[in-house]
Amino acid sequence: MWRITVKGLRGHKLRLALTALAIVLGVTFVTGTLVLTDTLNNTFTTLFGQVYQNINFEVRGVAAFPASGAAGAIRKPLPESILAAVKAVPGVEVADGGVSGYAQFIAPNGKAITTGGAPTIGSSYSADRRLSSLRLVAGKPPSTSTQVVMDQGTARKYHFSVGNQVRILLPGSPQTFTLSGIVGFGTADNLAGATIAAFNLPTAQRLFGELGHLNTIDVITTPDANKTAVEHGIAAVLPAGVEVVTGQTVAAEQSSAINQSLGFFSTALLVFALISLFVGGFTIFNTFSITVGQRTRELALLRIVGASRRQVFRSVLFEALLLGVGASLVGIGLGVLTASGLETLLKAFGITLPSGSLVFQSRTVFAGLLVGVGVTVVSAISPARQAVKIPPIAAISTYEVAQRESSARRLTIGTVIGVAGIGVLAVGLSQPAIQLVGIGAVGLFIAVGILAPVIARPASSVLGRPLARILGVSGRLGRENSMRSPRRTAQTSAALMVGLALVSTIAVFGASLSKSATGTVSDAVSADYIITAPATGGSDTGLSLGATEAVAAVPGVTRVTNVNSGQFEISRSLATLSSLAPSDLSSTVILNMTSGASAKSLAEGMLLIDTTTANTNHLSVGSVVPVTFAETGPTSMRIGGIFKPNALLGSYLTGSGFFHAHFAATTFPVAVLLATSTGATAPTSAAVKAALRDYPNLTVQTRAAFEKTQQASIDQLLGLVYALLALAILIALIGIVNTLMLSVFERTHEIGLLRAVGMRRRQIRAMIRSEALILSVFGALIGVVVGTGLGVALADSLKQQGITDIVIPFTNLVIFLVLAALLGLVAATWPARRAARLNVLEAIATE
Amino acid sequence: MTLTDPNTFNANESPALMARAVDLVKSYGSGEAEVRALNGINVEFARGQLTAVMGPSGSGKSTLMHCMAGLDVPTSGRTFIGDQEIGTLDDSGLTQMRRDRVGFIFQSFNLVPTLSAAENITLPVDLTGRKVDQVWFDFLVDQLGIKDRLTHRPAELSGGQQQRAACARALISRPDLIFADEPTGNLDSNASAELLTFLRRSVTEFHQSIVMVTHDPRAAAFADRVVFLADGTLVGELHEPTADAVLEQMKQLGA
Ligand SMILES: Nc1ncnc2c1ncn2[C@@H]1O[C@H](COP(=O)(O)OP(=O)(O)OP(=O)(O)O)[C@@H](O)[C@H]1O
Ligand SMILES: [Mg+2]
Repeated sequence: MWRITVKGLRGHKLRLALTALAIVLGVTFVTGTLVLTDTLNNTFTTLFGQVYQNINFEVRGVAAFPASGAAGAIRKPLPESILAAVKAVPGVEVADGGVSGYAQFIAPNGKAITTGGAPTIGSSYSADRRLSSLRLVAGKPPSTSTQVVMDQGTARKYHFSVGNQVRILLPGSPQTFTLSGIVGFGTADNLAGATIAAFNLPTAQRLFGELGHLNTIDVITTPDANKTAVEHGIAAVLPAGVEVVTGQTVAAEQSSAINQSLGFFSTALLVFALISLFVGGFTIFNTFSITVGQRTRELALLRIVGASRRQVFRSVLFEALLLGVGASLVGIGLGVLTASGLETLLKAFGITLPSGSLVFQSRTVFAGLLVGVGVTVVSAISPARQAVKIPPIAAISTYEVAQRESSARRLTIGTVIGVAGIGVLAVGLSQPAIQLVGIGAVGLFIAVGILAPVIARPASSVLGRPLARILGVSGRLGRENSMRSPRRTAQTSAALMVGLALVSTIAVFGASLSKSATGTVSDAVSADYIITAPATGGSDTGLSLGATEAVAAVPGVTRVTNVNSGQFEISRSLATLSSLAPSDLSSTVILNMTSGASAKSLAEGMLLIDTTTANTNHLSVGSVVPVTFAETGPTSMRIGGIFKPNALLGSYLTGSGFFHAHFAATTFPVAVLLATSTGATAPTSAAVKAALRDYPNLTVQTRAAFEKTQQASIDQLLGLVYALLALAILIALIGIVNTLMLSVFERTHEIGLLRAVGMRRRQIRAMIRSEALILSVFGALIGVVVGTGLGVALADSLKQQGITDIVIPFTNLVIFLVLAALLGLVAATWPARRAARLNVLEAIATE
Repeated sequence: MTLTDPNTFNANESPALMARAVDLVKSYGSGEAEVRALNGINVEFARGQLTAVMGPSGSGKSTLMHCMAGLDVPTSGRTFIGDQEIGTLDDSGLTQMRRDRVGFIFQSFNLVPTLSAAENITLPVDLTGRKVDQVWFDFLVDQLGIKDRLTHRPAELSGGQQQRAACARALISRPDLIFADEPTGNLDSNASAELLTFLRRSVTEFHQSIVMVTHDPRAAAFADRVVFLADGTLVGELHEPTADAVLEQMKQLGA
C-alpha cells in the first residue's frame, strides 16, 4: 500500500508542488521567525555576558516595584559616599560608580539622530577599562567637561570622527561637545541600535541631575578573594534600600529584558505564520478532497482486489504525511535563509549584531515539522474518510454511484460548530482572552467553510449570470462548472474567505480605532499646540525641561502646561499616574467630570480617576486608596473626582505639585500643552518653532495636526498588519490555481470536445477565467461579510477601552472585493493557458 | 507440487457447489421509476467449472455478478460463496472474502494506472501483507506471455496485455472463484482466444472455478455450462455448449 501511495505521489508532481507550496510558505514563516528570535536572543545574551564578564558585583538601589520586571525597574540613585565604603571592603580590588540618563545626538544637518525604537543612552565613562562595557576604538576617554565619546555605529553612519564638535540633547538645554573618542559596546559597534554618549563622571552627574549620586557601583574583586565573603562584606556596608548583586545577575537581567521585548515581536510574527498555515490547511483539505474524488475508480479498484477500508484511509493520510514532511523540510530550509535575510535587513537599519552566526535550535526543526506535518495530516483526515466511503463497485459500475451526503447533516454540523465558535468568541471578547478569541474565530471560519457549499450553487448561479450575459457561451460554461460541484466551489473559496475575513476585520477595527482616536483627541484636549518628543526607546521621553522654558517666553503663549506621567503602585498593582497644573485647566485639556471637582482636587493633591477605573474597582469620590511611589514609598490618596475617559491623560490624574513631590526631579514631561491668545495661527506657529530651534527632536503640532499623526500611526500599524496578512491571501490564491489546474486536468476530455466542436482558445480561456472569477468573488463576499461582523464585535468589545465609534469602511471593503476578483483572474492565468493549449486529438483520446 | 494442487476449500463445504443465489431480487430506483434488474433468480455455480452467463443487454448479467460477489446489496434473497452467506458479512468480512476467496476480471479499467504490470499482478497479495508465491507468479506470467512486459505501466500495454495482466492478478492469490465480466469485450478474436484458452486451462488443470459474463457465443463455447438471463430471470441453460448451440438459444431468446 505504501508503494501505491509513493507511486501515486510521483505520478502527480504538479499537483504535489502546488499543494506543498502552501505548507512551505507557512513553515518558512514559522521557522524564519524562530531562527531570528533565537539568534537575537543568543546575541544579546552573549553580548551582555561579555560586557559583564569582568564585573563581579554591582551595587544598586533596590527595585521599587519588583513586579515591573527586574531590568526596567525603577531604582533610586545611591549617595556617592557609599563608593568609599565599598572600596574599603576587604577583597575589593576596583570599585567605580556610574550614572546614566537621556542624551541624544544631533546630526550635522541639525536633525536629532533617532534610533527607531532603541534607547538613546547617556552615561558616565568609567576610568577603569575592566569595568567599562564601552571599548575605546579610537581617540581618548572624555576627560574634560566638554568632551564626549560616541558609539561607533553612530560615528560611522553620520561620519563623525575624533576631534569633531557634536551637539547633544540633554535633560536640560542642549550643549556642544568635542568628540574625544569613539567606542564600541562589547564586541559590537553599538547596543542593538542604541546610540551611546559617554561623559566623564562629574560631567555626567551634572548633566543628568545626579550631583552627589551614582546609579550603580561596579566591583572587581582581587583574584584570590572569596567571592561570597566579599559579597557579604559589601552588603554589610550598604544602607537600607541598596543591594549588591553579581555581574552575571545583571547580565541575565539586561539580556532577558531585551529578549522579552523581542518576544512580543516574535509572538506577533508567529500568529501571522499560524494564520497562513490555517489558510494553507484549507487549501490542502480542498486539494485532497478533489483528488480523492478524481481517484474514485482507482480507490474502488483497490478495494475490489482486497484493500481494507483502513488501508485506503491510511494511504490517503500517508500521502499527506509524506507531503507534509517534504514541504516542511523545504520550508525549514527556506526559513533559515529568510532569517539570514532579515538579519541583513536589520543591519541596514543600523542594528549590527556581534556574533554573526544564525542560531538553529533543534526545537525549530521540531516546531516546523510539527506545524507543517500537523496541518497537512489534519487537513487530510476528512478527505481520507471520504475515500473510505467509496464503495468497491464504483470501480466498475457505469452508473453514477450515489455518494451524496445529506445537506441536512452538513447544516447541523456547521451550525453547531458555528454557534460554539461564536460562543467562545463572545466569551473571549468579554474577558478579554485573546486565545479564546482566536479559537472562536477558527471555529467560526471552519463552520462557514462547512456551511458554504449549501449556498455555493445558488450563489454561483447568481454571480455567474452577468458573466454568461457578457461572455456568452464561455461565461455560461464557466458558471455551470462552478455550479456543477458546489462543494468544490465552496471549499476552494474557503481559503480566500478566511484571508478576506481577517483583512476585513482589521479594516473595520482599524477604521473604528482611527475614528475614535480622532474623536478622543478633540474630546480630550483644548490646547492650541501640543509638543511631544518621539519615543527614544528608553524610559525618558526626551522632552527636555529647557524646552518648556523656551516656549513660555514666546509672545502670545498664555499658558504652558506640562503633562507628566510616571509609574506608581495603586492597591498593589502597577499603573501610570499623570499630572497637570491645576490652574487654567480648561484652556489646555477637556476634563468631563461625572462627580467631584477637577481643579480643586488637583490643587489639593487628590487623585482623579476615570469612570472605567471607578466602575471596575468600585471607587467613588472620597474613597482612600493605598499608593506607593519609588522615590517616597507608601502613602495614601483620596479620590477627588471622576472623569470621562480621556485619551491624553489615562486613568489616574493628580496635580503637578503632588506629582513632583513624589517623583524624581529629573522626570520629563510626556507632552507640553500650549494655550495662546491668538489660537493656532501661522505667525504663532513660526514663533513657537523658532523658540524650539535648539530642540530638533521635538514636534510642535496644532490640535488638528496632532489628530492626524495619531491617525497616521494607526494607519501605519494597519498597513503592517495588512502586509503580513498578504501571505495568507497569497496562499489562498495558490489554492485557487491548484483547484483550477485540477479541474482542467479532470476535464481534459471535455475541453478537447469543446475545441473539436469549434470553441476557440480565447473562449476556453474565458471559460476558465469566469470560473475563477466566480470562485474568488464568492469567497471574498463571504469573507467580507464574516470579517465585518467580527470587526464590529471586536470594536464593540473594546468600548470600555476607548473605541467610541464603530465605522464600517464601505469603500475599503468594496476595494477588497474588486482586488480579490482581480487576483482570482490572475490565478486563472496559468490554468487557462494550459487548458487552451490542450492538443485536441490527445484530449479526446484520454479517457 | 504447488502448481497442480486442487483448490483448497473449507472441508465442511459441499464439495460440488461453489456459489449460489436463492430468490435473488435486485431493484433500482423506487415507485414509477423502479427497475427490476433481477427478478427472483435461483442459480448454482459448480466448483471447478467454467460457467458462462449470457443474455441480452440490460438483462441483469452484471447485476447478478455484483450481487453474488458481494459488490452490490440485493433487495431481497440470499447469495452464498461456498457455504458462506454474503449478506451476513460486514465490510471487513467482505474485504476478507475478496482477499481470500474471489478474484475479478472486468472488461476495462482492471489495473491501477500508477503501478507497473508486475505490481498490479501482485497487488492482492501485497495488500494482505503476505509473501508472493514466486513460482506461481513466474508460471502465470510465463503462461500468459507477459514476462517481458512486467515493468511497463498499464498505459504502455496493449488491451490484450492488460487483460492478461488482469487475469494473472485474479489468479495470483488462488481464489476459490473468479468473476469475469465480459473479459474479452474489448479484444480482437485472436487476443480473445488466447485469454479464453488460458481461462479454460486454469479450470481444467488447476480446478479453478470461474463465472464469466459474455456476449460472444464463441467465448461461451469454452464454458462447461451456459446459463441464459432475460429481463432479470433465468430462462435456460446448456451443458457442454458449442458456439452454434449457444447462437441458436440466443436467437430463440431474442425472438
Ligand atoms: N446502479 C443502477 N442504477 C439504476 N439502474 C441500474 C443500475 N444498475 C443496473 N441498472 C439497471 O438494471 C438493469 C440490468 O443492468 P445490468 O448492468 O445488470 O445489465 P447487463 O445484463 O449487464 O447489460 P450489458 O450486457 O449491457 O452489460 C438495466 O436495466 C439497468 O438499467
Ligand atoms: Mg453488464
